[in-house]
Amino acid sequence: MINKVRDLAKKWLKGKEVDAVFGLKEQGGYIAPYLFTDANELDNLTLSTDYRLCYTCRPSKENILSLMQRGEPNIKIGIIARGCEERALIELAKRGQIDLNRVKIMGIACTEQEARECKCEKPYPSSLVFGERVEGTAKDDNVNALLNKSLSERLAFWRYELSKCIKCYGCRNVCPMCFCKDCKMEQEIYAKTGWLPPEVPMFLFIRFYHLSDRCIGCGECEKACPVDIPLLTIFKLLRKDVKDLFDYEAGMDVEQEAPLLTTLDETPMREEVTSGV
Amino acid sequence: MAEFEPKILAFCCNWCSYAGADLAGVSRFQYPPNIRIIRVMCSGRVEPEFVVKALSLGADGVLVLGCHIGDCHYIYGNHRTKKRMAILEKILGYLGIDPARVRLEWISAAEGRRFADLVTEFTEEMRKLGPNPLKKEVIA
Repeated sequence: MINKVRDLAKKWLKGKEVDAVFGLKEQGGYIAPYLFTDANELDNLTLSTDYRLCYTCRPSKENILSLMQRGEPNIKIGIIARGCEERALIELAKRGQIDLNRVKIMGIACTEQEARECKCEKPYPSSLVFGERVEGTAKDDNVNALLNKSLSERLAFWRYELSKCIKCYGCRNVCPMCFCKDCKMEQEIYAKTGWLPPEVPMFLFIRFYHLSDRCIGCGECEKACPVDIPLLTIFKLLRKDVKDLFDYEAGMDVEQEAPLLTTLDETPMREEVTSGV
Repeated sequence: MAEFEPKILAFCCNWCSYAGADLAGVSRFQYPPNIRIIRVMCSGRVEPEFVVKALSLGADGVLVLGCHIGDCHYIYGNHRTKKRMAILEKILGYLGIDPARVRLEWISAAEGRRFADLVTEFTEEMRKLGPNPLKKEVIA
């Protein structure tokens, strides 16, 4: 599959369909996101599930694509996107962070094993170019285990899990949807400086709530967590709830407004976007 | 040991619910003294974080009171509240906090009677539910 991806990327670059291709580059045994502008370099293009391309840069707290588009307003970027990355792009475009017209998506599907490792529900992009479409894992043992618990057992479970938190902000930093300049998780009232563990359940509740209608289910937060807090459990449940309550799924339809930004009859009440592309 | 007295925090919107609470007072309707009111300009100002903070600081129940849908002084403020609170209830349930401890109700400025009844009923409900299990977690 990698050869096909390289060939198409070369074709895009040579045919001036895109000005640059954003993908993962392997160099000296290391893999990192890289913006390919020279077709000859594309032999180093590689695929890996370990790195996401749609990440938010720190400390400027801007999505990498948003930064690129801002810096170079006239270029078109080709991006090699998996299912989760495509969902992230759609959700970012909806929230005024990037311009989808200046992005060309090369959709690649994940293998069954990759999907299982990520506990992914939809391991393929809607605009699939390469790879076989495999169904995601609908069942998650953590979710079922949580649902089978009583309220007091759940509280005991989360009290233990959340008190492991070392406030590294890893979950927020890897999240493609966490792009707020002012993060509530940094405010003194919710996360006291020099205090560990952070207030249970306040600290992580902030992320649970703020991402309830944004979470694209990539599972990066759970993978990044150094103390293995099962964050994805709640996000998966919330994705389902938001679908049941508001008939909305994050990262699916760029036209559909997010439910927390609309009135009860789904009229948009957009706040003024002061930054963005 | 004395009987458990729940502590209840109410967020009242300035335009309807606070006036409703005021009317209950002016009309001398009796309701339990367990309630503490915080006035906010709109129920849309109430972030779910406020509710969780209140619970983790030891409130046994939290009421979020706003204008009826369509009556909001800021047109759509309470639409936001309604959607937020639906999600908040779900998250609280998953975290193991009884979602019944948080309630969203609409009280207009004319509904002093309803305010008094609501507070009475909610206080009784919280008394039955018992102390908030998060109380032990208080971090000043």
